[in-house]
Amino acid sequence: MAEYQIRRCDRQLEGGIHPETHKDLSTTEPCVFVDDPKRLVFPIHFSGGGPGEALVAVGDTVSQGTPIIKCQSGIIHVASRAGTVIDITDHAITHPSANQSASIIIEPSGLKEQSYLDPLVWPFDADSLRNRAIEAGILGLGGAGFPSFKKWSDGTQTLIINAAECEPYLTADDTLMRIDTHSMIRGACMLSRTLDIKTIVIGIEDNKPEALEAIEDALKESRSDCFFDIVLLDTKYPSGSERHLVWLTLGIEVPTGSRSVELGVIVHNPGTLAALSRAIDGKPITDRIVTLTGEALKAPKNVIAPIGTPINHLIEATDTSPSSLTSITVGGPMMGYAVTEFTAGITKTTNCLLARDVEIPPESPCIRCGACATVCPIRLQPQQMVFALKGGSLDLAVHEGLGDCIECAACNAVCPSHIPLAEWFRLGRFEVRDQANEQRLASEARERFEARNARLERIAQEQEAKRAARKAKTADALEKARKAREQTA
Amino acid sequence: MIKRPDYPPRDTALVMRMVLIALIPGIVAMTVFFGPGVLFNLTAAILTAIVSEALCLRLRQRELKPRLIDLSAVLTGVLIALALPQAAPWWLVIAASAASVTLGKHLYGGLGQNPVNPAMLGYALMLISAPVAMTTLWINPLTTPDFLTAWSAFLGHSSDAVTGATTLDLYKTEFRALTATEASRNPLFTQAHLGFIYGYEWVALAYLAGGLWLIYQRVITWHTPVGLLTTLLVISAFFSFDPDTATPVWVHLIAGAGIFAAFFILTDPVSGATSPKGRLWFAIGVGILTYLIRTHGQYPDAIAFAVLLMNFAAPMIDHYTRPRIMGREASVKGPGGQS
Repeated sequence: MAEYQIRRCDRQLEGGIHPETHKDLSTTEPCVFVDDPKRLVFPIHFSGGGPGEALVAVGDTVSQGTPIIKCQSGIIHVASRAGTVIDITDHAITHPSANQSASIIIEPSGLKEQSYLDPLVWPFDADSLRNRAIEAGILGLGGAGFPSFKKWSDGTQTLIINAAECEPYLTADDTLMRIDTHSMIRGACMLSRTLDIKTIVIGIEDNKPEALEAIEDALKESRSDCFFDIVLLDTKYPSGSERHLVWLTLGIEVPTGSRSVELGVIVHNPGTLAALSRAIDGKPITDRIVTLTGEALKAPKNVIAPIGTPINHLIEATDTSPSSLTSITVGGPMMGYAVTEFTAGITKTTNCLLARDVEIPPESPCIRCGACATVCPIRLQPQQMVFALKGGSLDLAVHEGLGDCIECAACNAVCPSHIPLAEWFRLGRFEVRDQANEQRLASEARERFEARNARLERIAQEQEAKRAARKAKTADALEKARKAREQTA
Repeated sequence: MIKRPDYPPRDTALVMRMVLIALIPGIVAMTVFFGPGVLFNLTAAILTAIVSEALCLRLRQRELKPRLIDLSAVLTGVLIALALPQAAPWWLVIAASAASVTLGKHLYGGLGQNPVNPAMLGYALMLISAPVAMTTLWINPLTTPDFLTAWSAFLGHSSDAVTGATTLDLYKTEFRALTATEASRNPLFTQAHLGFIYGYEWVALAYLAGGLWLIYQRVITWHTPVGLLTTLLVISAFFSFDPDTATPVWVHLIAGAGIFAAFFILTDPVSGATSPKGRLWFAIGVGILTYLIRTHGQYPDAIAFAVLLMNFAAPMIDHYTRPRIMGREASVKGPGGQS
């Protein structure tokens, strides 16, 4: 039995909101596998892990687990089902900022052909584990899609399992913790053993008693020598934001511009750890749990779906006709984004498809009431930031703290003027990144230009020197010839 | 027991409606002690505000409906009406209300754009343009006029028997020659039910009740009223070592617009400071200026000028009172930005 304690969090989330959670909408039905869809869609550049390149060609036959995309970060995405690559083309994708992108389309054959990796046998070192995570395509499954191996630095002292799942409607993590507890715990233990981590913290909101019970049972059976510190958090959004979870559970305020990793703390989603556990056994990520929920779906539930499954196939899995919906939210109501093209496939970071009819009241002018500031979990003044952004002064918004915004959208939820504050901030932050990028490109171009000038100048100098040398040589030769002539004369 | 809401009301129109509801006790108390003139002023000011708002929206080619139903114009009308002398003639009320909405608000771009408090702008404008009417037409609560007297005052024929200067003003003029004991023999004080000032005390209490309800409902925060009232209290208490020359503390607090302004005027979010700390400093600034102008200025009350002056300081206050952002060493100070 692993040693563990359960304690109530003694810190209070400053700001934040208590939205209606609507979680029981999808937790009353058991989690089921969906039938294989007719086709699977894998965006080459937007599957997580950065832009990638296709490792297969049209007509290739793939097994479940065959590498098909290699990303810039090294991450490899595999075919989630055996089948044939029928096309590599521009296709609708699920992504907040792109609607269409080059994608690999696979038609599943229905065969059970598998091409897995060899199991990793203990003892192995951190590098082997990192390699395994790359080969198995392990990304943050909570939604961010950050390549997990990049977080695993030596000197890590604490692993936090982010089991808060504070976003309303979402129950994918809750479901995973109920049905796949052992994998999660095993993944956490293996990672801790490899990185020599002594404490594993589980931050979980107090609205998941079943998951908590499952974790306790799993820990009683576990033989890990790690200490498990289970922290019960008040149900308040956004307690599951990485920065806030670190502060709530450990009391550490991660400085602006740093990541918790730099402080020796890594945070992982339960799904990521469960996937890691399977990766050690040789199985790359081919499926994930997706919450299909919302009042517009007839039979909301959690499903286990192959990566790449088109959205309309999943909508049908809830006995709902895709044509009855005009748009679906990928992710939760707070941080999700709308997708209107239902042929797009789910990716590793798609934790929820939310269908509901919300009528957004018309926007009215900001009256600076400051309601947004009272709920901002990092104490920003959203009213001031949006004023700057609407006035077109990005630098002023940055001065107010735009760069620190975690885009949790708590401000949206309380604004009496119904201003889409979070959307403004997302846009603003995107522009800031864009500008930084442009600046980088510009400075690179300048460096290239300067280097070229220097090179040209150097060449000119060399030529000048050569010419001078040649001249001197000629003069020398002439002189010699003249002297010789004089002597003979 | 109804649970206190977690957040402010979820709609601008609801915010305005709640402020209007919170004003009802004050309006009732005002009507009881200062007569039906209060209601005439309210009616005229509200109608003028709505018409001005509609006219401005039309001129600015904006949609009428959303701005008219959000009640922001009505609230401006109510606030200016309650700030004006109770025996004010109709033209004063209409001019003040129209100025508040047009010059105070729409000149700068309408709802949410006004740099200063619209009602106080209208008030200050009238105080400068019609000083006599603005200083002499206050009702003495001991001689509450009946309907007809009030109506004729509204039409411009006020009777000297019921009107005069405010209590605050009395301390500057008539009471100046008196000792504190002599001044306290004035029937306004001797007949007071609660021992403060006849009529005014109940009005102040009614506004206080409405204001506290707004704090409870999270429409406003405690920072503004506490900032103003504490500052007035502390400064006037400090200078009351010579009771024969100083205006008493409680006269400062309840005779003028103190309570009303603390909860309903300074709390205008648009023209005030926006961070909690900023709101506190804003209110403290208004308190200091109010005391200074009341004591050393020419005008009977000073809230309007103090508020207007602090409105201009609000953006700067905001630059220096930002909360410390999570993850930062210190709060960001200064205006920043180049554009």
